[in-house]
Amino acid sequence: MTWLIVSREIREFYRDGRFLFGAGLIVVLFVTAFLVGFEQRKNVFSEREVAQQLDYDDWVNQPERHPHDAAHQGMHVFKPIPPLSFVDPGITNYVGSTQWLQAHRQTEVKFRPAQDATGLQRFGSLTPAWIIQMLGPLLIIVLGFNSFSGEREQGTLRQLISLGVPSWKLLVGKALALFLGALLLLAPLLMLAFWIAFGDVQAGDRYDVLIRLGLLVLGYLVYLGIYIFMVLTVSVLTPASRISLVVLLAVWIAGTILAPRVLVDVARMVYPTPNQVEFNAQLNQELRKEYTKAWKEHFGVEDRWGTDVPLSRWGEALQVDDQAGYNAIDRHFGALWNRYDDQQRLQEFFGFVFPMLSVRSYSMAITATDFSHHRDFAVSAEQHRRLMQNLISSELVEHADGQGEHHFDYKVSKAFWSRIPPFEYAAPSVLFALQRSLNSFAIMCATLLFSFVFALLSSRKLV
Amino acid sequence: MLKANDVTKNFNSHIALNNVSLSVTEGQIYCLLGANGAGKTTLINHFLGFLKPTSGEVLVNGKNVMNYPLETKRDIAYIPENVMLYGVLTGLENLEYFSALATGRKKPKDLLMKLLTDVGLRPEDAVRRVSTYSKGMRQKVGIAIAMAKNAKALLLDEPTSGLDPKAANEFSLLLKKAAENGVAVFTTTHDLFHAKETGSRIGIMRSGSMLAEFSSDDVSHTDMETIYLKNMRD
Repeated sequence: MTWLIVSREIREFYRDGRFLFGAGLIVVLFVTAFLVGFEQRKNVFSEREVAQQLDYDDWVNQPERHPHDAAHQGMHVFKPIPPLSFVDPGITNYVGSTQWLQAHRQTEVKFRPAQDATGLQRFGSLTPAWIIQMLGPLLIIVLGFNSFSGEREQGTLRQLISLGVPSWKLLVGKALALFLGALLLLAPLLMLAFWIAFGDVQAGDRYDVLIRLGLLVLGYLVYLGIYIFMVLTVSVLTPASRISLVVLLAVWIAGTILAPRVLVDVARMVYPTPNQVEFNAQLNQELRKEYTKAWKEHFGVEDRWGTDVPLSRWGEALQVDDQAGYNAIDRHFGALWNRYDDQQRLQEFFGFVFPMLSVRSYSMAITATDFSHHRDFAVSAEQHRRLMQNLISSELVEHADGQGEHHFDYKVSKAFWSRIPPFEYAAPSVLFALQRSLNSFAIMCATLLFSFVFALLSSRKLV
Repeated sequence: MLKANDVTKNFNSHIALNNVSLSVTEGQIYCLLGANGAGKTTLINHFLGFLKPTSGEVLVNGKNVMNYPLETKRDIAYIPENVMLYGVLTGLENLEYFSALATGRKKPKDLLMKLLTDVGLRPEDAVRRVSTYSKGMRQKVGIAIAMAKNAKALLLDEPTSGLDPKAANEFSLLLKKAAENGVAVFTTTHDLFHAKETGSRIGIMRSGSMLAEFSSDDVSHTDMETIYLKNMRD
C-alpha cells in the first residue's frame, strides 16, 4: 500500500512539472558549483604545493649565515586543501592558508581569501554544500507543501481515508516519495562527486574519501529527512495549501537565512573572544612574565637580552627564552580555540530547532574544513616551528656559544639547512572527523526522530 | 449492515443529530431525504468514522465504527456529492490507485477498464486525464471505485446532484444492480422522485431528527410529496 502511495506521488510530481522545474534548476546549479569548486580546488592545490616547495628550496639554498638570522627569516607552511573541500569549503575562506614559522612567536595563519571577497560573495558562495543546505529544503517545500493540505482542498483526502487507508501509511508513503525525489536528484550528482573526487585523489586516500562521501550523503539525507517530516506536519496541520506554503517559507527563511547569522552573534555574546589586538596584548603580557621568571631562574637577571648575560651564553638564552614561552603560547591559543569550539557547540545545539546549524557543522567536519581541522593544522605547524627553533638553538649552543664575543660571527654551512626537514602535514583521518561530527550527527538524528513522531501524531488528526 | 442507535451529535450548543436511529440491511436501498442542514451528511460522516457521536453508537456489519475504524471502512464504499479524483491521473489510473488502496492489491488493467465501461465511461475517456472530466464522468469513476472494492455497503451523499436526468437514471440502475447483489445502499438526496424510484426504504430528517420512516412500496408519489412537505412545514 505504501509503495502505491509513493508511486502515485512521484507520478504527480513528474506530471505537474514541479519536480522537473525545481530539480532541473538545482541540477544546473549543482553541476556548476561542482565544476567551479573542483577547478578552484585544483588550482589552489597546485599553487600551494608549488609554493611550499619553492619556500623550502629557498630555505635549503640559503648562503652560509648565522642560524638565528635564518630563524627570523623563517619558513612558510601552506595548509593543504582537503580533497572534499570543493563540496564544502567550510571555514577555509575565513581562516588563513599560510603560517609563518619564525623565531620567538607562534603567528596566526595568514591570507584569508574572504579578505579579498566582495560583500556579495560573503552572503554565500555557490558550493554543493550550500545548495543542499539552502535549496534542498526549498525543493522539499515546493514538492511537499500541499501533500495533505492540497488533498484536503481537492477532497481526495476524504476519499482516501474513507477507503480505510491508515493515516500513518499515507504519511510514510508521502515521506518516502519526497525522500526518493530528493535521492533521485542527489544520485547523479553524487556520482559526479565520486568521479571528480576519485580522479584527483591519491590512491592511499581513496578509502578515506569514500567513507567521507558516504558519511556526507548519510548526514544530508538525515537533514533532508527532518525537512520532509516538517513539511508534511505543516501540510497536515494547515487548512489550506496557501497557508502551508507561507508557513513553510517562513520556517525556511528563519532556519536557513536568519538563524545561522543570528546564532553566530549569540554564540559570540555567550562565549566572547578577544579581538586580535586584545589577544596579542594579553599574550605579550603573559609571555613577559614567563620570560622574566625564566631569565631570573637561569641567569639571575631580569633584563632580557641585556649585557648581564654574556654572548657565550646567547644560544642557551635563546633556548631558555623559547622554552619559557611555549606554555604561555599553548595556554593562550588553547583558550582562544576552546572558546571557538564552545561557540561552535552552542550553534550546533540550536540544530534541534534549526537543523541547518547541525548539518553545516557536520558537513564541515566530514569534509575536513571545520575549525577542529584548522586547529590540527595550526598545532602541527607550531610543532614544526619548535622543532626548527630547537635545532637552531642547539646548533648555537654547541658551536656558537663557544666563540664567546664572536658568537655572531658564527655561520653554519649550507648542509645545516637541510637538517630542518620540510613540513609534511598528515591530515587527520576520517576517525578524527567522525569524533568531531558525532555531536551534530546525534542532534540531527534526534531532530529527525522528533519530527517523525510529531508528524505521526499530527497525521492522526487527518480529515 | 448499517445501523445507527440513538445517535446524538452536538457541536457546542448546536444539535446536529438528535437520537437518530436507522438500519439498512443487505440488499436494501435506504434513501434519506431532508433539506440542507438536516443532518444527512453528518450521519454519513458518522458511518465513515469522521465524526464521533456525542452519544449513541454507529455500527457497520455489527462493529462499532469508533472501536474498529479501519475494519469498518473496509466494508463500505463512499461516493460523495462530488467525487474527487487526482486531476493529473487518467480515470483508469485513478481507479487503479483507489481500488488497489481499498483492496490491498492491484487489479488487472483490462478488468478495471471493464468496470469503467460497465458504469458508462467510454474507453477513450478512461485514458484521458481526469482534469478534463465532467462531474458525471467523475461520479462514474467513483462508482467504479466502489464496485472494484466489492464493499458490503455503499454510502452515497447526494450522488445525483448536478447530474443530467439520463446520467441520474443510469446511476439509479447501478444502485439497484448493486442492491440485487446483496449490497446495503444508504443514500441521501433532495430528489423525492429519485428516492421513490430507487429506494426500498425512505427516511425524512429535519433539524437533526428523524421525523418519518416508511417503505417506498407503501406510498405513492403523491403521498410521498405530501408527507415530505408536511414534515418540512411543521
